Amino acid sequence: MEQPKVGVFLSDCGKQLSEVLDFAALTSFVKTVPNVTLIVRGSEFWRGKGLQSIIDAVKDKKVNRVVVAESLTKISDVNIAQAVENAGLNSYLVEMIDLKDHCAWPHQKTPKEATEKAKAMLLAAIERAKLLEPIEKIEFPALKSALIIGGGIAGMQTAVDLADLGFDVNLIEKAPFLGGLSARVGRFFPTDDCAICIQPPSSDVKTITHTSRKCVYRSGFSEIPNLNILTNSKVVAVEGVPGNYKVTIEKKPRYVDADKCVACDKCVSVCPVETLDGYNANLSKRKAIYINVPTVHPQVYVIDEDACKFHDCAKCVEVCPTDAIDLDQKTEQATLNVGSIVVATGFKEFDSSNIKEYHYDNYPDIITNLELARMIDGFGPTGGAIIRPSNGKPAKKIVFIQCAGSRDRRYNPYCSGICCMISLKNASLIKEANPDAEVSICYIDIRTTGREHEYYYERAREMGIKFVKGRPTEVYADEEKGKLIVDVEDALLKRFLDLEADLVVLAAAMVPAEGTAELAEILGVDLEADGFFKEYNAKLRPTETKQKGIFLCGGATFPKDAPTASLHAHSAAMKATKFLTRGKIVKDQRTAVINEDYCGDCEFCPVTCPYGAISLVPTTEDHFVARVNDLLCEGCGVCVGTCPLNAIELRHSRPNQMEAQINALMSVNGTSKPLVLAICCQECGHTAVDSSGMAKMQYPANVRVMKVPCAGIVRVNQILEAFKAGAQGVMIVGCKTDGCHYEDGSDKAEKKMDFAKVLMKEYGIEPERLETFNMVYIEGNQFAEAAQMMTERVTKLGPLTLMGDS
Amino acid sequence: MPHHTGKAANMAFSEEVTSRHGGETLTSCYQCGTCASSCPVARLDSSFNPREIIKLSLLGEKEEVVSGDAIWQCCSCFNCQERCPQNVEIADLIYALRNIALEAGHSPNIYSDFASALIDEGRIVKISKFVESKRGEYGLPPLKPVGIEDLNKILAATGFTKPEKTEATK
Repeated sequence: MEQPKVGVFLSDCGKQLSEVLDFAALTSFVKTVPNVTLIVRGSEFWRGKGLQSIIDAVKDKKVNRVVVAESLTKISDVNIAQAVENAGLNSYLVEMIDLKDHCAWPHQKTPKEATEKAKAMLLAAIERAKLLEPIEKIEFPALKSALIIGGGIAGMQTAVDLADLGFDVNLIEKAPFLGGLSARVGRFFPTDDCAICIQPPSSDVKTITHTSRKCVYRSGFSEIPNLNILTNSKVVAVEGVPGNYKVTIEKKPRYVDADKCVACDKCVSVCPVETLDGYNANLSKRKAIYINVPTVHPQVYVIDEDACKFHDCAKCVEVCPTDAIDLDQKTEQATLNVGSIVVATGFKEFDSSNIKEYHYDNYPDIITNLELARMIDGFGPTGGAIIRPSNGKPAKKIVFIQCAGSRDRRYNPYCSGICCMISLKNASLIKEANPDAEVSICYIDIRTTGREHEYYYERAREMGIKFVKGRPTEVYADEEKGKLIVDVEDALLKRFLDLEADLVVLAAAMVPAEGTAELAEILGVDLEADGFFKEYNAKLRPTETKQKGIFLCGGATFPKDAPTASLHAHSAAMKATKFLTRGKIVKDQRTAVINEDYCGDCEFCPVTCPYGAISLVPTTEDHFVARVNDLLCEGCGVCVGTCPLNAIELRHSRPNQMEAQINALMSVNGTSKPLVLAICCQECGHTAVDSSGMAKMQYPANVRVMKVPCAGIVRVNQILEAFKAGAQGVMIVGCKTDGCHYEDGSDKAEKKMDFAKVLMKEYGIEPERLETFNMVYIEGNQFAEAAQMMTERVTKLGPLTLMGDS
Repeated sequence: MPHHTGKAANMAFSEEVTSRHGGETLTSCYQCGTCASSCPVARLDSSFNPREIIKLSLLGEKEEVVSGDAIWQCCSCFNCQERCPQNVEIADLIYALRNIALEAGHSPNIYSDFASALIDEGRIVKISKFVESKRGEYGLPPLKPVGIEDLNKILAATGFTKPEKTEATK
């Protein structure tokens, strides 16, 4: 490899740094460093003449490594790196440091010490630069097709969005009909509009728009040529990588040919089998061959396998005018090749029979909000009449119980978020249709946080709905009166009310949909403690998972009302689009690499990697080595810190590069205080250092900062080496453990440092010389305080004597 | 009802409760009232309401809680504790409050009578001739005398002493 020729571009930020730092001393210091072939001083290098001087030096081949000391507020990594790349040098051969926020400003009051620290910082950057390697871009092919799992409102919206843009979209739904929970709830708040209404296809790319209407079944949704709708089907296996997933699906037989069925209803009229209609909350019966409600998609009947007598009856086959019924259909498996997957599996109601004191199982007149919604629906089992399921008579007195299984540490500790509005909606719809009905809502807190939601609450009060602040302890039957009694304390009145009811409605908690855990396992994505799918980052990447090609939307991540699910769906579609649109995935190979000669196939790294990027591959019959998938690797380096044999390195943060930096940072002291090395993660840790400097918070100049991708990359032996290099104390500064940008890197770092402390004791180094800190960007004061504290601590401990030192 | 004073000294009361065995779960309460509607005592006597006792404790109204009658009325049926959606250990919490009250010199006289009887005679309830005769009728053996000396050693070791008789609470 060509000898390194380092160009150092030293900015005084418009002379403001020269008030603290002695630039003449810095320049003469840098001159003495071997391999420095060019020193340029200026007031800014991120644009204009300054930037041009970098470009010229690269073009003229005066330098093949670039060190830029610029102030943070002006540093544009992208600007300088891009200019260097354009001038013909790999952008990863650029090293940038911030002499303002990391030196001049936080050490304003000790200019001499600051100058010495600046020398160390420059030396570290130069030594690191010498060892840097070019990093190339790598490309992976990506299919321009997607799979959406779940055909509720979120899944349908995402499917339309993606299909509109011309991608090949597969929409898979486990049930025989689309619509999911949204179709069953009848109406949406706060608009009270119909639940089966969606935003229809609207693109001029491929779809027909002039016939589009908003009802799902008339929307033209099913006619979108590049949308493949698979009902009665589920995902059973997923292989592959982002951009290229091979998905195995299982399609249950419908026993009715979708291409022939004309939905004439003849089969239903002759079917002799009646069974409870689960779709309608078992409040009515349906035939073994059926369609949920008239307005569903697809308009194709389906046979209930558990109820049908098949060839022992076959009456439907005889009457079908189009020969659409095929009783011999079998379960089929099929393979889909897609570039990305969107999970839109939604949620379901919690099983209220768990709450023994509410006796949901014992009294038929205790129902849930979803069951009530079926009653309210004109297409539902009662044609819109509110009845007592026990005797079919009209229900006049209705009591709602909120938080049935939500905000309850025995079942689901979280607030499901939407049940207050659902109950307000259902209560208002009842009152609207039947003003004489007595409707009460027992609540702990009424939560109406969305736009127009508070108005909904106000309207409910105007309508005469009664509100009782109290969570009932029990529901029981008064056989004599033929009523249910809801036993509750009105906490505001401090009075016990035994509310009589014909019908009790439980606002059941919302929990993850059936099969959520199995699907997470198939997809290799995580669930939260509440059982819902875990998003990569609730704020920054709310629709993404740790698997690059797998996205989330709607109620799959938490219960959502229709507008929020819809918003989420559009967002997921956008993310998937960004991913699919180029037909390839391009990324820098700033990834982990394994030295296969050292690898002891111990399985630590495959388990540690948050992204599933490492797998063990057989080399011989009984020997395995770890291999890194560059596509999946996110470049955190947590595997590096975990490997017990030091067999893993991260490109651009190799151990020799880090060692050179540590040695340089510890080589110049220039203060009377003991040197402290602060190894900071590039996310919150390093930015906390930035913010302390930007705010001119003062801390001692003996604290030297080194940036790493994640605190998890640090190896235990590097801590020992830091002490050997002259550090009297070491700080590991990472993100908060639950805010780590690489899943659990911070947590892993902390555990590793506990182990390092044990080793330090063995070597006769006081464990207090090592400390981990977790902070966020805005906590610059915490970094300054920590730096001060560590300096004081190691000063008190006195100089470190290492074993072997005389 | 005294309004919440917000004095730091008073606010420390909730910490005093949570640091006690049985009182740890105080701050989980969100005042849903399930305990109150579960409570058989509250139905009969409006001066007792477990939700209210917890609210007062959370607001730091120590004096009202520990010097009042209410905490002594709980019958320890544990209905409230079974049904509390926040797993507040309400009955245990009331025991913790009673202990605080005793230390502050507040207890209904019946409790100090019990304690005195235990120390003096080895039993909380005196055995009447009537009870003794009934035992014979039912074929039960006569009660053995209590080893008062040994019992008092144990009581002394645990710091159990005769509580001061207080002015009878209303």
